[in-house]
Amino acid sequence: MSSAAGPAAGRYLDLYSRRTGEAGFLRALRQQAIGRFEAAGFPTSRDEEWRQTNLGPLLRAEPEPAARHTLRAGEAAPFLYPDCHRMIFVNGRYAAEASSPPERVTAVALADLPAGGENADAIAEHLGATACGLASCSADARVHAFAALNTALFGDGAAIVIPEGVVVTRPIQVLWLSVPTLGRGDAGDGAASRLEVSFPRLLVVAGENSQATVLETHAADPAAGGYFVCPAAEFVCRAGAVLRHTRLQVDAADAFHLGFQHARIERAAVFDSSSLSFGGGLVRNDTVALLDGEGADCSLDGLYVVGGSRFVDNHMRVEHRQPRTTSHQLYKGVLDDRARSVFNGRIYVHQAAQKTDAKQTNRNLLLSRSALANSNPQLEIFADDVRCTHGSTIGRLDEDALFYLRVRGIPREEAHGMLVYAFARELVEKASFGPLREDLEGRLRSSLNGGRGGGRSR
Amino acid sequence: MLRVSDLHARVEEHEILRGVDLQVEAGEVHAVMGPNGSGKSTLAQVLAGREDYEVTAGSLEFDGDDLQEMAPEERAHAGLFLAFQYPVEIPGVGNSYFLKAALNATRKARGEQALDAMDFLRLLRERANLVDVDEALLRRPVNEGFSGGEKKRNEILQMAVLEPRLAVLDETDSGLDIDALKTVAAGVNALRREDRAFVVITHYQRLLNYIVPDHVHVLLDGRIVRSGGSGLALELEERGYAGITEASAGGSGG
Repeated sequence: MSSAAGPAAGRYLDLYSRRTGEAGFLRALRQQAIGRFEAAGFPTSRDEEWRQTNLGPLLRAEPEPAARHTLRAGEAAPFLYPDCHRMIFVNGRYAAEASSPPERVTAVALADLPAGGENADAIAEHLGATACGLASCSADARVHAFAALNTALFGDGAAIVIPEGVVVTRPIQVLWLSVPTLGRGDAGDGAASRLEVSFPRLLVVAGENSQATVLETHAADPAAGGYFVCPAAEFVCRAGAVLRHTRLQVDAADAFHLGFQHARIERAAVFDSSSLSFGGGLVRNDTVALLDGEGADCSLDGLYVVGGSRFVDNHMRVEHRQPRTTSHQLYKGVLDDRARSVFNGRIYVHQAAQKTDAKQTNRNLLLSRSALANSNPQLEIFADDVRCTHGSTIGRLDEDALFYLRVRGIPREEAHGMLVYAFARELVEKASFGPLREDLEGRLRSSLNGGRGGGRSR
Repeated sequence: MLRVSDLHARVEEHEILRGVDLQVEAGEVHAVMGPNGSGKSTLAQVLAGREDYEVTAGSLEFDGDDLQEMAPEERAHAGLFLAFQYPVEIPGVGNSYFLKAALNATRKARGEQALDAMDFLRLLRERANLVDVDEALLRRPVNEGFSGGEKKRNEILQMAVLEPRLAVLDETDSGLDIDALKTVAAGVNALRREDRAFVVITHYQRLLNYIVPDHVHVLLDGRIVRSGGSGLALELEERGYAGITEASAGGSGG
């Protein structure tokens, strides 16, 4: 199929046309999404929001749905935490036999959603309703191509609805495991290389005054080949809810990861989210948070550790729509070798959002002369009684501190690791769930050791 | 123990050390005195292995080993210690964690077993007590937000934990009030031993009232122009560096 939206978009429209039909609200939702995607096409380098993200290698590849894969014993184990409720998805498909969802909440694979089942109405109401890929944000009506694609093409998907007043004490872990079966395609003969694609979809609705912790893990065997994962997640925090969320991204080094997440936070609710990115070759996370009720509060923190010639892009948009809303963003990046990063953070304060308190910080540590970090904090303020601050830094390791540690006997490599760890530690130590924190600390330490070639003479 | 011969060093294009000779034996305390810009701190940094300084001539030997062949951490493992004039603040690295990493790196390099958390804590408490350092400092990030006096005491604590064979104290007295000065001096005196030597670099004589040196050297324009016993420090105090220069110029002429 060729398309006015271009040959790359045409290949994804083909994927949609090959889907078998399904009934109910999902079908209507998908049709609406693919229509919007077809009209908009993929973003190009002329699109201001995508100017620094090179989609060329991704869009030249021939997409095909990720193969069905049956989980082998121990395959998911490296990514699972003890004492959690679990929902495990492999190549976008629900692995029910390996999962142990919580009982007092509705946690289902979307594809299995029984019509008229418990909370089916809530799921139908919220799925796709908040994401910019479908309903437009007030200030930015543009279609997010990847969010729209996800809606059109997601596989089983996970929906978690926490009823009003329920406190889920154990974290709910949602593991999205990619197991590519194709090797790296050979593009040498001019034909497009093949790329396996999956579209994880998550919806979390935290009912009024409920509390829960959701741990999302996007993972693959570090030695897996290339693949494309295009996740979308929606979070709805009803009045007074407290939802804690961690998103750990440890995809394979050749993976494309283009994710979209959207949160709507209602009156006096709290959404506290951390995004930690250690893997992937081309990674982009677009996050939109709408503070949609008086006193709503969100924290959006993140860490990216990037080496080789990898690329990580975090695009943040926080909208203060109601009075006395607060947002706090702290993103830190560690870049080595020829790695590149983009942080693009926009805080948008609507006229009604008096007494807004917003803070945004992006700090980058460059470990090599060839690494490059871009940082673009932006404020758009239409209310007059607000407190908004933003700041960004791009710096190098403190040579005086390095010398000081070495003079005390700490070898250069170890001293180097200590200083980088010290820079990033607050973001991994923020995790209050012990097994997660230990995992993050370990991943941070090993990513620093792995990034050091050992041949650094000074 | 330490043998510095005809040492020339420069930073960028500026030659700062122009032929320093210094010999230090175990158990001795040497004072190196000199005005600002005479090369005192450069000497300390070159001994510790700072790469910004280029040694252009001469030699540096520690127990017969060529220091120039050794990285800063290897010099530490061999038993060389530098107390910094300006201790560096390191946010995010706990003081106690740092000291444990430093001690265990040194023990490992010497083929000794690393101390476990309990044994290290016991040692740290004992040494903090010996040099009169408040235990609250141990729980804070390295030097971050420390007062000038706290930073200098922390240097002495590090020395007490690492037990070097040769300690170079670079203007450890600068910026200290008299009480802090006495505490720091008492810490150094508590660590004096027959097999340990000190090089005390200072601008003023007053520290030497509390740490009495065996030898005093006067450094001027990158050279040691006079050496003598502890009485030389007092002579400097009376006559100033200018007086010493004239005296040494007269001496070399005769």
